[in-house]
Amino acid sequence: MSEPEKIKRPHYVSKKTSSAVPFGGTEIIPGDENAQVTQPKNEYETSAISRRGFLKAFGFSIGTAAVLAACKRPVINALPYIIQPPEITPGKALYYASTFFDGHEYASVVVKTRDGRPIKIEGNILSAFNGEGTTARVQASVLSLYDDARLKNASGGQTASDWGAIDSQVVSELEKVNAVGKEIVLLTPTIISPSTIKLISEFGSQFGKFSWVRYDSISRNAIREANRLSFGKAVIPDILFRNARLVVGINADFLGTWIAPVHFIPDYVSRRRLNNGEEDMLRHIQYETGLTTTGCSADLRKKLKPSEEKAFVTDLHNRIAEKLGKSLLPAEKFSEDLTYLADEILAAGYKSVVISGTNDIGIQIIVNRINYILGSYRQCLDLNNYLNLCAGDDSEMENLVNRLDSGSVGALLMFNVNPAYDYPDSGKFIDGLKKAELTVNMAVSQNETVGLARFECPVNHYLESWDDAEIIPGQLSLSQPCISPIFNTRSFQDSLLKWSGKAVSWADYLSSNWESSFFHFSKMNEFRKFWEQVLSNGVFMYAGNITGPVLFDENALSYIEGTQMKPAGEGFELILPEGIPLATGLHANNPWLMELPDPVTKHCWENVVVISPGDAAMHGIINGDILRLRENIELPALIQPGQTEGTLMIMLGYGRKNSGKVADNKGVNVFPLVENHDGYRTYSLNTAVPEKTGKSTVLALTQLHHSMEGRPIVRSTVLSRYKEDQGSGNEFHRQFEESHKTLYPDVKFDGFHWGMAIDLNSCIGCNACVIACQAENNVPTVGKSEVTRHRIMHWLKIDRYFEGDQNNPTVLFQPLTCQHCDNAPCENVCPVSATNHSNEGLNQMTYNRCVGTKYCINNCPYKVRRFNWFRYTSNKVFDFNSASDLGKMVLNPDVTVRERGVVEKCSFCVQRIQEKKLQAKLENRTLKDFEIKTACMQACPARAITFGNLKDSGSKVSGLFEDPRCYQLLENLHTLPSTGYLTRVWNDEIIDS
Amino acid sequence: MKYLLNTVFLLSFSISVFAQENQAGDSILYEKRSFTAEEIIRGERLFFGLAYLAEKSVNCAGCHNTRVSDTLNWNPDALAISRIYKNKTAADLRNVLLSPSGKKMSEVHKDFQLTPEDIVLIKAYMDKFTTIGLNPGKPVITNLLLFIVASLLFLLFLTDLIITKKLRFRLIHLTILGITGTYIVSVLAVNAIRLGRSQNYSPDQPIKFSHAVHAGQNQTNCLYCHSYAETSKTSGIPATSICMNCHLIVRNGTRSGTFEIAKIIYSHDNNEPIKWIKIHNLPDFVFFSHAQHVSIGKVECSECHGEVDKMDLMVQVSDLSMGWCIECHRTKKVNFLSDKFYSDYKDILEKVRTGKVDTVTAEMLGATDCMKCHY
Repeated sequence: MSEPEKIKRPHYVSKKTSSAVPFGGTEIIPGDENAQVTQPKNEYETSAISRRGFLKAFGFSIGTAAVLAACKRPVINALPYIIQPPEITPGKALYYASTFFDGHEYASVVVKTRDGRPIKIEGNILSAFNGEGTTARVQASVLSLYDDARLKNASGGQTASDWGAIDSQVVSELEKVNAVGKEIVLLTPTIISPSTIKLISEFGSQFGKFSWVRYDSISRNAIREANRLSFGKAVIPDILFRNARLVVGINADFLGTWIAPVHFIPDYVSRRRLNNGEEDMLRHIQYETGLTTTGCSADLRKKLKPSEEKAFVTDLHNRIAEKLGKSLLPAEKFSEDLTYLADEILAAGYKSVVISGTNDIGIQIIVNRINYILGSYRQCLDLNNYLNLCAGDDSEMENLVNRLDSGSVGALLMFNVNPAYDYPDSGKFIDGLKKAELTVNMAVSQNETVGLARFECPVNHYLESWDDAEIIPGQLSLSQPCISPIFNTRSFQDSLLKWSGKAVSWADYLSSNWESSFFHFSKMNEFRKFWEQVLSNGVFMYAGNITGPVLFDENALSYIEGTQMKPAGEGFELILPEGIPLATGLHANNPWLMELPDPVTKHCWENVVVISPGDAAMHGIINGDILRLRENIELPALIQPGQTEGTLMIMLGYGRKNSGKVADNKGVNVFPLVENHDGYRTYSLNTAVPEKTGKSTVLALTQLHHSMEGRPIVRSTVLSRYKEDQGSGNEFHRQFEESHKTLYPDVKFDGFHWGMAIDLNSCIGCNACVIACQAENNVPTVGKSEVTRHRIMHWLKIDRYFEGDQNNPTVLFQPLTCQHCDNAPCENVCPVSATNHSNEGLNQMTYNRCVGTKYCINNCPYKVRRFNWFRYTSNKVFDFNSASDLGKMVLNPDVTVRERGVVEKCSFCVQRIQEKKLQAKLENRTLKDFEIKTACMQACPARAITFGNLKDSGSKVSGLFEDPRCYQLLENLHTLPSTGYLTRVWNDEIIDS
Repeated sequence: MKYLLNTVFLLSFSISVFAQENQAGDSILYEKRSFTAEEIIRGERLFFGLAYLAEKSVNCAGCHNTRVSDTLNWNPDALAISRIYKNKTAADLRNVLLSPSGKKMSEVHKDFQLTPEDIVLIKAYMDKFTTIGLNPGKPVITNLLLFIVASLLFLLFLTDLIITKKLRFRLIHLTILGITGTYIVSVLAVNAIRLGRSQNYSPDQPIKFSHAVHAGQNQTNCLYCHSYAETSKTSGIPATSICMNCHLIVRNGTRSGTFEIAKIIYSHDNNEPIKWIKIHNLPDFVFFSHAQHVSIGKVECSECHGEVDKMDLMVQVSDLSMGWCIECHRTKKVNFLSDKFYSDYKDILEKVRTGKVDTVTAEMLGATDCMKCHY
């Protein structure tokens, strides 16, 4: 049947003439006298044929050619609803509270949907856990919903893609396995959903032998186990930075990737912020092997080889215990004198906290003991209101792999795990898996494990699912579907319900469990109302702060002796951390994350061997040299100041196979290098001998210059000087204010003058803002080869500068967007006035007027303008899933998708400004401060970015602009930026003897 | 021609003899699926009222268009009818044809003298529309053709003027060059300005919906159907359920009969959205909000959309060009004092209070800035 919309009608040309001057054509011809009359008189227009006139004529001739080509108008259809859902207003966003949890990372979120499509994730301000803050991974998760690599149909057995047939086969096989008395195993990552846990236990109870194995791709098992041995509680304690005065981090990247950065960052930063006249700042000392964002934020960062870590903590413990008169551990001397550190810690007393991120039981018990004798469990560490994360058990998993190998497991049901990729001995796992009679895999998208099991029962993305989560005892949150499943998938819990023969749906199961388990905690008398309220808020707290005694079991210390640190071997030591962009590699097929540069190395699209400058010089290695560590492990070298000498670092999460266009074969998978040590997976190797292969490659770096060359770009001071003079470190600004003269007229605004203040003391360089900006503003992904040509499109980048010692530098982060200069150099040079100033102080960029001369890019001293070298959407070369037909669903309809050949840049999220202004007008009121939040401001877990109206003297941003710490970048150029930076304040030098 | 008429006559005769033989044969007749070319031609002639019939001929094509037409015809065209009957039998067509249901249809479909085999042939003829569509409209001498002729003339006389010099009188050259040149330039200018615009765009909609009937005669408020105009960026196209609010009862149109209204009911019953054709299209790089203009700017719908209450077929009145937008943005008076939002513009407020400024235009508040519409 022929479709009506395919009948195209010719382009009827009306005979009526118009006096308007459109884009691309005009009645004014070059040389025409009228050309001068119809245009505003500008000082630069003196010639008979003006620049603009020429361009008009140019457009005119192109227009003519197009007319002669007899173009036809495309017919655009508009399909209304049959019955309009009352909550949907076309053209307006609708927000749903939900929960992000991928087995590793948790965040309570609010999902922005437009016409039924989720397009943006924000933090849930009602959440006590993370507030409005998010991380890059959480921000990017919305794009994974529209991933072409998602599994689209159930398959397996004799009948493909028929859920009914698969269900009946799975059920009968389960019965068969159960009948012969073989074991049925459910393999999942950490699950924090109380309803799911209840469901799993009900599911398991119908079988004779059932076990539930939790397997985290990156294990923190030793922390739980150490707490079990030390305090009888196998939990991950919550760290309350807000109560601390000193934090000592030992290989724990708690602001980047470790356990729950989204929870730790606001807490940590709240004690480092100096906006409200605080006199005191949390002191932070970090000992680590590779340079992390956490190390960059530390007042003092020192290097530590993984093999020395146990000696370090033992030495530290003994020094503290000695002073406090507690029993000592068998002495192990660390190479450095740690007196200063022990003194620092003792000075802070019970308000100090020592954190180690190493998955080693001995180290964790010693750290527990240090914190215990210091009394940190009183205020800084909470074992009662613990974090429900990282429940994976290393030995259980190892045990399972052995049982699979021996053939004693009859059925293996896998949900959201990928051991074929991230289990170190994946070969053994795969072989064992084949020995089980029944294997079912439940995954969201393509990965290495998909295809190994007999049945593939794909599960929904979290934005399509019902779920709940209990992150801290008493702190609940709900997930609700924000879109109906795009593919023929089913939630994991629905599958379990089907296979246990229950007719109830998971959504009903969930709400009835809430009715029986949590409803009685509320003061409401009707469950439906309670349920709706929790769904609307996303979070529900049923218990306040739980208190309880914390007692250290001295017997735990006996375990320490049993554990030995791996001695340093030949060559280098190697650490295998997770990186901020990809973390465990679960979301590797997300192009936004793949192209997100690591905050420290500023490198993206693959993993590299990070080596210290000293070692590199000694071995004659330069950036990009390909090194071979093992067979099949060949990676380019990246020289990183701050890397501990004698160590190498390779990020996990790369080198995926069978996982989608973006993820496949980017870098090398180093999970096979992970070793099992004392029953725990450790992410460090004591021997690594890199060989040069003689080959080299170009690294996809997004920042090539690392020094400020003595210019006051990021200004910093120390606390004592700040206390004397709040403007210390910012003397240049004062000087400038006093001495600057200008011939330009004053720039005046009425009503609104948008400005942004960025507190460099709060920014920890986590990059959540970069992805938030990308998601909000439809910023394209360009791919590795374009990144190497410095054509990355990010509107917001976080510059990273090194200062001081080249081998262990001080690192300064600076988020950089368009500065919206009131005397903008870019505006003066645009030949077509495609960029100009608005009456609200915005540096406007008009894509449809831009002809791509790039003069503005050349003339911008901040280098924040980006050029569209190609058309990135609907282009086979840039066919990442952000640009495919499915991926396009993520686009923000309020922001233009830029065409090839135009310049783009940060707009201060003008679409949000306009939306909120309109809302205020409709409600007949003035705009409130903080009503307009730019995407970066909203996503920032550290609250480092403040946006607002500079004309409103009561606004927060105006206050920050008045702060003596505030300065404008390159202010001596008289660009008058609308963005202000607040100086970085470090704690006074910690006396390092 | 004679031969053709003969065959048709003979054929119709033989069929009618066959029909008289056996009434029960009708059902067999209706099942007939394949037709000869002659039979189809006979069907066409019946449709156009050219074939001889006992009492009088009926010209179906008089009401039911077989060509694409610019003028509005309230009756369903041949294509629309054939689509409906494509998968039905001639018996269904006969039932509707000979016992019409709606008021309008029963007025016209009176005393039809069509035999079952006539109907079978008419249906056979009409079936072809489902595959080939309606006949294209009359060929028109397009501007393009004129333009090419003018260009050729221009070139010819220019060549003669400079090179060949066949004609002695230069005045002829200059006159022709002048006329054709002016024509060429004006066509180019007009078309270049119009490029990408679609003023007077007025496509046939899937339902012959008349704003003149609904907004004009019946005085339905614009916002009854386009209910988001005051709150959202889009004014909204009414959901089928909104149509059904009235058409649950109103099933018979004065001019269109039941045919068009039946489409709404079909959409509602079969959960199939109506594929309207969007008329007012702005480029993707333009942000436009109805709420801003309708609620805040107090712009009447008709200021942009024209006298919709007089339009049977919706047409784009404004050219939606940027010049057209800006013209209004420059001159439009803002209700400055009535909305508290504007009290933030302290300088202007002061000027208004002291009487230095009596009208605040949208431009004074930045309505001509690029990023008010382009982002």
